[in-house]
Amino acid sequence: MRSLDHLFEHSSRSLARRTSRRSLLASLGQLLTGAALLPLLPVDRGGRAWASDATPKPDSPESCQYWKYCAIDGFLCSCCGGTSSTCPPGTAPSPITWIGTCHNPGDGRDYILSYNDCCGKTSCGNCECNRNEREKPMYRPSRNNDLNWCMANADSNYHCSVSVILGVAEK
Amino acid sequence: MLVQAAPPPLPAEHLTVQPLPPKSPHWVYVFDDAFDNEIDARVHLFDGDTYRRLGQIDAGFVPSVNLSPDGATTVVATTYFARGSRGTRTDVVEFTDNTTLAITGEIVLPPKRAETSPSLFNIAYSADGHFLYAAYVTPAASFGVLDPARRAVLGEIDTAGCVLVIPWGPNRVSSLCESGRLLTVTLDTQGHEAARALSEPFFDPDGDPVFVQGIPTTGGYAFLSFLGEVHEVDLSGAQPAFTPPWSLVSPAEKGRWRPGAEQVGAIHRGLGRLYVPMHQGGEGTHKDGGTEIWVFDMASHRRLARWPVHAAGLSRVHAVQVSQDSAPILFAATETSDVAVLDALSGRVRHVEKHLGQTPWMMLNP
Repeated sequence: MRSLDHLFEHSSRSLARRTSRRSLLASLGQLLTGAALLPLLPVDRGGRAWASDATPKPDSPESCQYWKYCAIDGFLCSCCGGTSSTCPPGTAPSPITWIGTCHNPGDGRDYILSYNDCCGKTSCGNCECNRNEREKPMYRPSRNNDLNWCMANADSNYHCSVSVILGVAEK
Repeated sequence: MLVQAAPPPLPAEHLTVQPLPPKSPHWVYVFDDAFDNEIDARVHLFDGDTYRRLGQIDAGFVPSVNLSPDGATTVVATTYFARGSRGTRTDVVEFTDNTTLAITGEIVLPPKRAETSPSLFNIAYSADGHFLYAAYVTPAASFGVLDPARRAVLGEIDTAGCVLVIPWGPNRVSSLCESGRLLTVTLDTQGHEAARALSEPFFDPDGDPVFVQGIPTTGGYAFLSFLGEVHEVDLSGAQPAFTPPWSLVSPAEKGRWRPGAEQVGAIHRGLGRLYVPMHQGGEGTHKDGGTEIWVFDMASHRRLARWPVHAAGLSRVHAVQVSQDSAPILFAATETSDVAVLDALSGRVRHVEKHLGQTPWMMLNP
């Protein structure tokens, strides 16, 4: 489950060490255009459901403790007219986001997840969730969920967050 | 039979605007992100002596907020959408006169402002107030150099992936890098880049990253790590100097007790005391609020007190700030949006202001 995290982390650090600003921008541009394949990050804004609050409820997508939400930080789109993997009507998915890995206790597998934001309406205000497994501060943007990842949308207002399964993480 | 005379009628009133009282070291500016309706953030000015809300500064969408070095101005960098919650994005810096809470001017920014959790380094003045620095993330990282007197953008300086604006001296800006280093840019008198330097790593971004919410010390800032290490950065010389880190936790407590939440510490610089919301939890709990406030002596690194907050009827503490006067008070904002006023010497809770905003995540001193 850690392999992809470590790969991305290593790549980012190597990038920061050995590249110029211009090449960093070029790389970021590639990340933006390649977002569908390698999304980046979710959004954070504090919250009222916390990592240490409760026992997991792996079968309830409207619960912050749902297994797919292990590093989501924002309002759950499943409580806002969407689902854990669809944006609510009238909003637009963020083209940039981040990926993480969460363990599904239902089948015992680790999954690679894309934490996208849904954008273009003001914050949903329902089912606020703040979990931060392996989350890192803003100086490591590929692992950070404090930034507004609607920032690159035409309408950059933040509405809610989803967690989309990309595949099974290989051990 | 005695007939009691009717009392005289109340005099007619004349509607005016309430003036602010003279500023007090016990005022606090409470940043409220208004997360449930995030285009409507605000800053509440609260008096820690009278427990009165003195006024409000509007702050738009995921704003950056700070005070000028003389405390006379609140600066808000924010984003507005042309149709309220949608439409063309305008990023702007707004200046508020802290004697009237009226806006006195603005600077329109390129639409690049970093929209993120609050810190003192999202927007910040130079020590002499001559420059103002605004952090940009698009997600490429850079910062804007502004002239607050002329209300002008002087330029933009790339930071090679390093983020935020840590101001020091009249013309230096440091940014936190993914490698655990500080990138420091020195400006010329026109606000253009004159030099840059990269420090050695001063923390371990993989094993024990630091929170970006640095706490002002007498000569720089202290950065707390997820596991409770204190990294003090001295910015009084020509280049950053790092003192050996020290720990908030004993070996037995390490990994079990840790700092966390939004504004992760406050320092009374005269007394040399550090206040940190601490909680019990493992990896991934670094945004959980504190169930206790721990008090440390910055010189000896000795823990002076543990103040459980539940005993005082408070929920978890997400932000702390301390006044800098000789009779200091500690402000503690909670996850249920209350702001408690404590005696910073004894920990006694003097007052709990209920629901001071919706999501009070950072507090600033005048």
